[in-house]
Amino acid sequence: MITIEDLDVLEEDEFAELERRIETQIAIWEIKNLRGRMAIFHDDQHIGEPRLELKAIHHPSFDVEGEMNFRKTPVVDSLEGNMLIHPITTPIIEVNKDNSKARGLWWSIGIEGLSKFRETPMAIWSVGMIPGVHVKEKDGWKILSGMWQRTTKNEFHAGWVEDMQPTNTRPQISKEEDRARLGKYAYQKNEKRKSISQPPYPDTWEKYPDELDQTWQEMK
Amino acid sequence: MINLERKEKLRNQMIRLEAYNEIQNQMGRFTAAINYKEMKCMSFFSNEREDVSLEYADEGIFVGREAIQTFLSESIGKGYEEGELIDFQLTTPIIEVAKDVKSARAVWWSPGITSLAKENNNPQPIWLWGEVAVDFVYENGQWLILHLHYFRTVKCDYHKGWVEDTSMINRPNIPMHPLAQPTTYHNPYHSKAIRYGIPAAPYAYETEDGANWMLRNDKTK
Repeated sequence: MITIEDLDVLEEDEFAELERRIETQIAIWEIKNLRGRMAIFHDDQHIGEPRLELKAIHHPSFDVEGEMNFRKTPVVDSLEGNMLIHPITTPIIEVNKDNSKARGLWWSIGIEGLSKFRETPMAIWSVGMIPGVHVKEKDGWKILSGMWQRTTKNEFHAGWVEDMQPTNTRPQISKEEDRARLGKYAYQKNEKRKSISQPPYPDTWEKYPDELDQTWQEMK
Repeated sequence: MINLERKEKLRNQMIRLEAYNEIQNQMGRFTAAINYKEMKCMSFFSNEREDVSLEYADEGIFVGREAIQTFLSESIGKGYEEGELIDFQLTTPIIEVAKDVKSARAVWWSPGITSLAKENNNPQPIWLWGEVAVDFVYENGQWLILHLHYFRTVKCDYHKGWVEDTSMINRPNIPMHPLAQPTTYHNPYHSKAIRYGIPAAPYAYETEDGANWMLRNDKTK
């Protein structure tokens, strides 16, 4: 066990470097927790209930009005029969040198129940990815950007080759609009899969220092 | 009193903690390269060890960078065709860094799917579940794969499921790859087969001494 006396004798630069390295490891831990909490909120769609803020609403680029409008807009008549269970897997997280920004990529394999108008729910099976950027605000790590990137989303019995369910919105968007949004890189039986999103590498913050630059996700 | 021994211990603990996350990052990037059928997956294998190896289901074990590169190039090197999909994921990480902090052992459970392109027909959707056991070594500032063994659990038609469809659990009866050495273990799910805890979970260990730990629970040996 390290004591305070042990740390007392470290040189200033040794101590600072130890602090920085430990903070990086804790950042990765906290960002994993953050995305885990987000996955729970994804399933818990109770509109208007107070909850911990997980997004970087104090960042100058953040569209607070758009986010709040999105949160108060129902997309189903009743929560009965609805479910969005998306365990997140395969974390790859790279934090910048001063522990203020982090890029991450996760995969996810999930099941859903969808009942838009109180009809018998549709069982849905889906696979996707979550590329994201995170920043440290006064009260901890927050999600600046990055949402679900669909690979498959299908009625359970139909399978992903035969079926692709669009994102449930009100008003419902067309399949073409859906392809331009969350389904942009989704699996299509008549297309070749694109290599997006790419995972962050250790040099991601040297190559792409701006947290708003999303080109780190693209194949180079 | 602070001394060299305690400083060394603190340094080792820091490296082990960093290794836990760096190894997950490295294995995630490797999985991304496989899922995207990119040959940069080779950059995750050891450059210095002649016994670097890859074993995939019952395709045999490929030893040495040249053999691994040949196998991967033939498997994924042509990139994607229309309708194809590979999507492995990594869950349930169990990672142990050696006491000497020069190597690490890890196991992940891997759910996944694939789509197999079919000429003049729709692609076939397939379940692809297994476990990955890996030995890592630390080379030139990064953790690299020394031994990787993918243990197949389920490979079956999505619509039929893993009990009904066992047609894909074993490779077809065609010649093994000329560079492949004999398979060390293959026990996919089958309604008449019994499961064992293989690959074994890694336990704390002193120093790297081969990949036998993966088959610790193999009662036939």
